[in-house]
Amino acid sequence: MICVEHLSKSFGKLEVLRDISLNISDGEIVAIIGPSGSGKSTLLRCINLLEKPTSGHIYVDGVDVVDPKTDIQKIRQKVGMVFQHFNLFPHMTVMQNMTYAPINVKNMAPKQAMDKAIELLERVGLADKAACYPATLSGGQKQRVAIARTLAMDPEVILFDEPTSALDPEMVKEVLTVIKSLAGTGITMALVTHEMGFAREVAHRICFLDEGRLVEDAPPQVFFSTPKSERAKQFLDKVL
Amino acid sequence: MLLDFGMMGKYMPYLFRSLQVTLQLTAASLLLGILLAIPLSLIKLSRFRAVRAVGTFYTSIFRGVPLLVQIFIVYFGLPQFGLTMDAFQAGCVTFALNSAAYISESLRGGIMAVDAGQREAAMALGISYGKTMKDIIFPQAIKSVMPSLVNEFIGLLKNTTLISTIGLVDVLRAAQMIVSDTFRAFEPLLTAAVFYYVMVMAISFLGKKLEKWVNKSDLR
Repeated sequence: MICVEHLSKSFGKLEVLRDISLNISDGEIVAIIGPSGSGKSTLLRCINLLEKPTSGHIYVDGVDVVDPKTDIQKIRQKVGMVFQHFNLFPHMTVMQNMTYAPINVKNMAPKQAMDKAIELLERVGLADKAACYPATLSGGQKQRVAIARTLAMDPEVILFDEPTSALDPEMVKEVLTVIKSLAGTGITMALVTHEMGFAREVAHRICFLDEGRLVEDAPPQVFFSTPKSERAKQFLDKVL
Repeated sequence: MLLDFGMMGKYMPYLFRSLQVTLQLTAASLLLGILLAIPLSLIKLSRFRAVRAVGTFYTSIFRGVPLLVQIFIVYFGLPQFGLTMDAFQAGCVTFALNSAAYISESLRGGIMAVDAGQREAAMALGISYGKTMKDIIFPQAIKSVMPSLVNEFIGLLKNTTLISTIGLVDVLRAAQMIVSDTFRAFEPLLTAAVFYYVMVMAISFLGKKLEKWVNKSDLR
C-alpha cells in the first residue's frame, strides 16, 4: 500500500528525516512513536506531500508521490489525514464540512453525500450535531467530526497526526474509541501518537523514530517488552 | 438673517441627481476595485519573488502618487495615447485601480491570517487550489478584512469629490454650481457636507451589520 524508500527531508540545514525506508501493507495499522522532534509528523506529512521530501521516493499503490508528474490530488483522495488541531472549516456547519470534498472533489450528488455524512456522523455518535458550527463543539467532538470528514472521502489509508494531543484528558478516550472502531474495518492506518497503551493495543507494528532515523520497526509485543536499541529503552523508561 | 436654507429648496432635485452620480461612481469603483484586488492579493502571495515584487510595486505606485495626480494622468494624459475616457470612466478607472491597491493589501493580510491548517486540511482532502481559495480561505479571510473594507468604502466615497475637478457633477460640484448661481456659499456646501455625512454613517451602520453576518459561525 505505502512504500517509503530512502526518504530524507531537511528544512534548511536541519535534517529532520534521514534515509527512512518503510513498508505499510494493505489493512495494516502502524503506530509511529518517538520523542518530540524526531520527525514523526514530518514523515506522515511527506506521505501525502504536505511536505516535499528532499530525496527518496514514496509509493502509494505503486504510484510515486514525489514524481512531479504524479497527480497529487488523486493520491490525496485515497490518503485521508486527521490533524492534531482538527482543522475543521469554521465557517461551515458540520454537515458542510463533511460534504464539501465529496461533492466538489469526487463529484458526488449532494443528496448522496448528505446521506453518507449522516451515516458517518452516526458512526462517530454525532448525528445530532450536523447543523452545528465547529465552534460549538468540544475538542473531542471536533476530532470525531474530522475523522468522519476524512472517512467521507472513502480513503484507502488514513494518516493520523497526533489525533489526541490537543485534547483535554477526558476527551482522549472518545476519540481513541472511534479510531479503534476503524481498526476493525480493514482500513490501512498510520498513526503518530503519544498514547503508548493505545499503540500497543491497536497497532500491528510500532515504528520508533529518533533524530530522524527509523531506529526500530517491530510488532508491539516485541517492541514494548524487548526493545533492541538503547535509545528506545530510554524512551520507554520515560513514558511508560 | 445670516443663513437662509429656504433658498436651497428649489435646488434639492439637482442635488439629488448629483447624489446619484456620486453613489454610482463609488459603487462601480468599489466593485471593480474588489474584483481587481482578489487576483492582486494572490499575486502578492505568490511563491515566486519576482511575481510578488510586481504586486508590491503596483501598490507602491498608488500609495505614492496623490490621487488627484492619478486622476489627471488618466483623464488628461492618456488621451495622448488614444485612450480617451469621459470624466465618469476616468474617475471609475482611477478609483478602482487605487482601491485595488489598498484592498489587496488588507486581503493579503487576511489570507495570511487564516490558519495554515485550513490549507493543509483542504489539500489533504484533494481540494484544488482554486476551490480552496474560493470556498475555504476567502470566506475566512473576509472576516478580518471586513472592517478595512468598510473603511476603504468610506474613504472612496469621500475621495470621489476629487472628480469634481474634471467636471463631473457630483454632490460637491453641484454644490459649487449652486454657490455660483446664488452667491451664497455656506448653505449649499453645508448641505453637501450633510449628504456625505449621512452616506458615511449609513455605510458604517451597514458595515457593522455585515461584520456580524460574516462572523455568525463564531457564535457559540
